Amino acid sequence: MKAEAMNKPAAATKLHLTKKLKGTSHNNLAGYIFISPWLIGFLLLTAWPIIQSFYLSFTEYSLLEAPTWTGTDNYANIFTNDNDFKTSLKVTFIFVLFSVPLKLFFSLMVAMMLNKNVKGMNLYRTAIYFPSLIGGSIAVAALWRNMFNLNGYFNHVLSWFGIQGVGWITNPHTSLGTLILLNTWQFGSTMVIFLAGLKQIPGELYESASVDGASKLRKFFHITLPMLSPVMFFNLVLGIIGSFQMFTSAFIVTQGGPINSTYMYALFLYEKAFKHYQMGYASALAWILLVIVALMTAINFLVSRYWVFYETDGGKQK
Amino acid sequence: MNKALKNHKVTSHLLLIVFSLLMLYPVIWWVGASLKTTAEMSLPSIWPSTPMWENYTKGWQFSPEFTFGRFFGNTLLMEFWNVLGAVLTSALVAYGFARLNFKFRGALFSILLLTMMLPGQVTIVPQYILYNKLQLMDSYIPLVLPHFFGGGAFFIFLLVQFIRGIPRELDEAAKIDGASVYGIFYRIVLPLIKPALVTVAIFTFIWSWDDFFAQMLYLNSVGKFTVGLALRMYVDQFEIQWGRLLAMSLLSVMPSVVLFFFAQKQFVEGIATTGLKG
Amino acid sequence: MKRSVYNGLALLSLAAMLALTACGSGGANNGESTAPNNSGNGDSKAPVKLKIMWQGADIRHQAMLKTQEVYTKENPSVTFSPEYMAWDDYWKKLPTLAASHSLPDVLHMDGAYIQEYATRGTLEDLSDIDLSSVIDEKTLENLKIGGKLYGIPISRNAQGMAFNKEALEAAGIELPKKDWTWDEYFDFARNARAKLPDGVYPISDTDTWDFYQYYQMSYGKGRIIQEDGKKFNLDKDLFMKFYGIHAEFRDKKIVPPADMVSAFKENDPQADPMASGKVMTRGATVGSVGALEQLMPGKIDVVNLPVGPEGGGWAQPTIFLSVSTDAKHKDAAKAFIKWFVTDKAAGETYGTNFGIPIYDEIYTALEPTLAPKEKLGKKLYDTAIDKAMPFSPAAAGWTEWVDNYKKTMDSVMFGQKSIEDAYNEISKSGNAIAEKQSAK
Repeated sequence: MKAEAMNKPAAATKLHLTKKLKGTSHNNLAGYIFISPWLIGFLLLTAWPIIQSFYLSFTEYSLLEAPTWTGTDNYANIFTNDNDFKTSLKVTFIFVLFSVPLKLFFSLMVAMMLNKNVKGMNLYRTAIYFPSLIGGSIAVAALWRNMFNLNGYFNHVLSWFGIQGVGWITNPHTSLGTLILLNTWQFGSTMVIFLAGLKQIPGELYESASVDGASKLRKFFHITLPMLSPVMFFNLVLGIIGSFQMFTSAFIVTQGGPINSTYMYALFLYEKAFKHYQMGYASALAWILLVIVALMTAINFLVSRYWVFYETDGGKQK
Repeated sequence: MNKALKNHKVTSHLLLIVFSLLMLYPVIWWVGASLKTTAEMSLPSIWPSTPMWENYTKGWQFSPEFTFGRFFGNTLLMEFWNVLGAVLTSALVAYGFARLNFKFRGALFSILLLTMMLPGQVTIVPQYILYNKLQLMDSYIPLVLPHFFGGGAFFIFLLVQFIRGIPRELDEAAKIDGASVYGIFYRIVLPLIKPALVTVAIFTFIWSWDDFFAQMLYLNSVGKFTVGLALRMYVDQFEIQWGRLLAMSLLSVMPSVVLFFFAQKQFVEGIATTGLKG
Repeated sequence: MKRSVYNGLALLSLAAMLALTACGSGGANNGESTAPNNSGNGDSKAPVKLKIMWQGADIRHQAMLKTQEVYTKENPSVTFSPEYMAWDDYWKKLPTLAASHSLPDVLHMDGAYIQEYATRGTLEDLSDIDLSSVIDEKTLENLKIGGKLYGIPISRNAQGMAFNKEALEAAGIELPKKDWTWDEYFDFARNARAKLPDGVYPISDTDTWDFYQYYQMSYGKGRIIQEDGKKFNLDKDLFMKFYGIHAEFRDKKIVPPADMVSAFKENDPQADPMASGKVMTRGATVGSVGALEQLMPGKIDVVNLPVGPEGGGWAQPTIFLSVSTDAKHKDAAKAFIKWFVTDKAAGETYGTNFGIPIYDEIYTALEPTLAPKEKLGKKLYDTAIDKAMPFSPAAAGWTEWVDNYKKTMDSVMFGQKSIEDAYNEISKSGNAIAEKQSAK
């Protein structure tokens, strides 16, 4: 069938159909049919809790009693009276600043390393993905503390080089670093997405570049990166959204300590909601975070037109 | 020339082995610790003096009423539905957003993204109250249903990005042949995003396996517990049954590992062998 | 043609959802179903299904289930719909249930939480249950909140200290004695320092509000949080003295350094201060000392908290059974609780799974069969009861202050704040909360 023959991506790069083919026709009915699963689910199950949480942010709500309206008190207190708010925001920003680039970098490098047909590659990939599978279990907490304590394995290895280690997890200056490391160590999911993206790059592109005498580095910068850019963009946006909401590792490994040095925003929010019986205040915190993250995502989207390359837009061909 | 290639291969393997060991060292610790007695856990050694295999056998037993077999069965069945729902519906929704032009598309897509930015801790209680009103307590429905409504914003957005990477010329060519919007979806787009769909399946499996908070809220009877919930029963107010906890958590990770191992063929099969080497 | 393929997909999804609904309420396998409660009256003859929730380890769960079976045998019209889970999860699920007004009929309550739950109106007043055969008036009076009894105690608890008997004897250090005073406690620490190797410490540093409260109360200056949270009372002189001594101890290495202290995790085999061999003593309750004994079998012994002129530590029940205001079968629930605490058959079934049974007779019956860790708990209780002072938990709405107290004192421990600044901060926030609560 003709459609089958069209499946070869190679055909696409050779076709130079003109811009008039850019989809401008409206497909209202079809569009809504396709997105109906999400739309229905959203209207039925997600919208109301979200609206409810917005309402709750203007109340005092212990969960044990009905909410009482307090107007903008929560927001006022957050911005004027709350040191923990400032601390947790600072801690979270630092976390995001370091873990997102680190994770992206390692995931991409490792994905490329694993994207070969070397014997036993299946095993290597599984081994390297493993840390991301153990998620937020108590085992991970015990493990990480075991590695980075004063007498932990990491210091043991350092001693081989004659370096005296400190209690990395229990020192307020380094504890956040161990969490950043933990987050980076669990880069598997980001890596897998890069792998899937790498697979989609047509091999013919590399072939023709080889024929032209391009070096490995050139191929990376002129083929791999641009073709990967939609996926890179995805990983960046979601990396930021995800790390702002990072909760599990702070909760299980350090409980926000010592002295708030790892008091991630999501942990702070959680404690307000479930430990201090202030769900209203926590809801306000949540909406403030949403605004911050939405702003950053919007900026990401705006800037993306300068570096993200979608084939569908008939963009620049090498 | 050949020798250089061989050396290159050897160093690649060496690098991979070292790196893998680095990733896996904690697992080695984990296995060793799972075979220790609680008192032995305070010692710095990796391996126990005598392995306590009963951590696995007794740990599996769990209680006079249920074994972990029951919990694995519960969880695997739930996962089957989760993955099915996510894979089916996320592709549909993503295609709609990525390829079709309809009124309010931009606004709806923004709402989609925004739902990811609100921390779940503050919607979990209103959501619970909602499900409570619908009389859906002590059942898997609150856990599985969201996957049938698009599978989650994360996957929809992921597939949108993949679909946008498919040249529109393919769509147009098919259109010329008389294919409808649905046809393009089924014949052109769907086959081309297979690696991404496999990703959706794997991640849905792995992430919903661990989602203990929702499972804890919605599953009341112990007979319905998932593996994750049952594991938490080994953690008491003062005492943690470390041996059994570590043993069973290790087993609990295995299905995800096995799934990943077999599914990864979908990512990399058919990579042109000429393209990336050299 | 293509449309039918899409339709096929849609149909498949729909079929899947329908199939799910069918098996959803039945559970993945043949799970237990919770039949809806249909009788709303308190008549014990009409069939009643009590929804009951508790937390704990598996042994406790099995004991609890058996106890329910015994009750149903004696009262065939009452059956149970039990739910149980781990400690952590329990306290997250309860607020959610409260918010949706679906708290169970009978629930397990704890001294650390009952203040919040009671004062916010989620628990029934149980003062009318007659427990005179088993519990004395005075104990019950001490448990009342706002003049009402919100939980029936089911076990005895006390706060004391555990110490590493084996290691102390080996080092030739005199063991702590019952009713030792605070001065003796500090002297014990000073003297033991010389006899212990480097990296091992006689006592640990402290950053929690309750440990300081024992000090303040024992010297007659009263509780920190008074009048159900409406009054704040932090004695400056005692505060400065207490933490001044600990600061001196930090300098002289009589207490471990700050980062070692923050790494401690009680009852964790690697990170427990005593089990890891780093500290010779630590606080323990009747409930928690058993776990410690398991980590260090045969090595530890117990003593009460250091005493002052007014006494030391506390001895009071902290585990309760309560009835929620959402309960559908309040009378049946109360009847069950009364039976649970007073009936011998009940006590024999659940034994010491909740701690030392409040009914002395049940305890003496069980005594011969007790394991060493349980005997140690009883010893702690007996040691502590003479000089025990009233149990003084944080009032409702003070959990945040409690957390901040620890963080502030941690800053002092790490040398980032002076004791006086810490005092001022803690007092300021404490007074603010007290003011807010009196205004209500």
